[in-house]
Amino acid sequence: MNRYDVIVVGAGPAGLSAAIEAAKLGLKAIVFDENAKPGGQLFKQIHKFFGSKEHKAKVRGFKIGEELLQEASKNGVEVVLNAIVTGLYMDKEVTVKQDDKIVHYKGDTVIIATGASENMVPFEGWTLPGVIGAGAAQTMMNLHRTRPGEKVLMLGSGNVGLVVSYQLLQAGCEVAALVDAAPRVGGYGVHAAKVARCGVPFYLSHTIIKAEGTDCVTGVTIGEVDSSWKIIPGSEKHFDVDTICLAVGLSPMSQLAKMAGCEMEENPLKGGTVPICDEYGETSVKGIFVAGDVSGIEEASSAMIEGRIAGIAAARSLGYIDEEALKEKSKELEAALGSLRQGMFGPGSKGKEIIQTEEGYEISKSLLTKGYIAEDEIFRYPGVTKKTGLHPVIECSQNIPCNPCQDACRKGCIKIGENITSLPVVDQDSECTGCGLCVASCSGQCIFLVEDGIEEGYSAVTMPYEFLPLPRKGDMGAALDRSGTKVCEAEVLEVRVAKAFDHTNLLTIKVPADMTMKARFYVGQEV
Amino acid sequence: MEKEGKQSMRVENHPILGEAESQTVVTFTCDGKVMQGYEGEPIAMALRNAGVLVHRHTKKQDKPRGVFCAIGRCTDCVMVVDGIPNIRTCVTPLKEGMVVQTQYGHSEKKEA
Repeated sequence: MNRYDVIVVGAGPAGLSAAIEAAKLGLKAIVFDENAKPGGQLFKQIHKFFGSKEHKAKVRGFKIGEELLQEASKNGVEVVLNAIVTGLYMDKEVTVKQDDKIVHYKGDTVIIATGASENMVPFEGWTLPGVIGAGAAQTMMNLHRTRPGEKVLMLGSGNVGLVVSYQLLQAGCEVAALVDAAPRVGGYGVHAAKVARCGVPFYLSHTIIKAEGTDCVTGVTIGEVDSSWKIIPGSEKHFDVDTICLAVGLSPMSQLAKMAGCEMEENPLKGGTVPICDEYGETSVKGIFVAGDVSGIEEASSAMIEGRIAGIAAARSLGYIDEEALKEKSKELEAALGSLRQGMFGPGSKGKEIIQTEEGYEISKSLLTKGYIAEDEIFRYPGVTKKTGLHPVIECSQNIPCNPCQDACRKGCIKIGENITSLPVVDQDSECTGCGLCVASCSGQCIFLVEDGIEEGYSAVTMPYEFLPLPRKGDMGAALDRSGTKVCEAEVLEVRVAKAFDHTNLLTIKVPADMTMKARFYVGQEV
Repeated sequence: MEKEGKQSMRVENHPILGEAESQTVVTFTCDGKVMQGYEGEPIAMALRNAGVLVHRHTKKQDKPRGVFCAIGRCTDCVMVVDGIPNIRTCVTPLKEGMVVQTQYGHSEKKEA
């Protein structure tokens, strides 16, 4: 039997991070993954991550994946692919299916980082080809460059539903509607806003009644639900779509922990059945650790930190480091994890209706029900200031753990402060050079540069733009407001592409002066 | 790819991922029909780009099924590949000359 100091199950963000830390401390580490490629779901994440520098904020997920793989290989982590861990038995004996054979391994410690699986929701016709998981859509378009369909309806307004809707638009699909049975958008408002301004209508308090079609999806009917989740008669709406995407949450894949005899709990705040573990991820079975979504659904950013902590704790458990070193090494990581868990989307706030920010600003009701901040609500936020000269307008209205915009501005125009979840404040007295780094650094794409009076009666609005074809200087088109409604004609003044912007191009358009605070997206004229 | 015609769902140029790398084109058949796809891509992707969405029909009720999870977990996309049934087409790499067939129940034959 092959023996390892630590056997890690799952080569996603948590598992790789765990193996890296363990290997750094001298442990002989092996990682098994059932897939043909490592990285878990990271390589499908083409958006910029939130957080701060230590969480790799504003770096796109797939880049983080590449960095992790390099780090793993540099530290001598053995990653075995196409290897399905089928069992975890007494004394940490692990059985792995490799090439149609079952191979036995023995781990002195085991770190379970198996992640999560997508939830589904049944409705009439839900088994039809064309009804897919949101993860499937990401896999198809971002890994295999295949659009799942031409016209898509998304069910679920959590971050997955919002981010995948945006990515569908980037891949060239049409998103007919974003639907959620809940009365409020579940994910970050900034993710919702970037989908809404592209013209995708939001239907909150709505759910799918049926998927239509004989051999595959040809349409969908949704309806409004009342407070007891029953469809309100007469509220039915039909959409011609060829694809229905389900983004209705994730469940921890904790079966191995259960099999190993770890004490489990049913915890809705963590997404389902999870092993009970201490602050280092150690379960009730000594030497078996968990990290990432398997121990509670969170973001990839937190999974990576949990993984690192578990890797260090495994080293402690085998005596590679002492208790003092464990505390020392995990302190910073625990702090980083703690900051990611703050704010109104943190685990402590799950399911609660939040009506104001930590600072006391009222949350936009329009954002929660329609996906965009209404015009009469926008000026309440500290990132939105009235000034005639060139200045940033930061439409950030919720306490989420993210602060790259603060570091982006060299003039000190943007302040978040020590508390990573605070809303950015724009200092009206600081001079804005128009460099646009803040616009490109915002993972939520909610920063715009505006300048009044560029010529008599006209203003310039600079916005983040991540679509193709890229407009060109001199192009004529239309400006859309936050709801995705065409509000005026617009001329493209400038398109800035730079390595530092990392594919978030800066598009500057000329609009009538009264549109400065309305125009937030641009569409070229149809050819 | 020329033979895919207008049904192709390929993303040739992507705002974040850039231009697609050039791929080796291979020929395979699906229910006897000659199709093309990229070598090594999941069979299901080649099928999607050729306009094939129905991968199998269920045994008891003869209901059509296709790709659902696309990561080899749900097994809804299984087909008969080179004579072997229950092949997860979303995670099985496409090879030159593969014979892919719609699966009815557990075989390529439609049961009476």
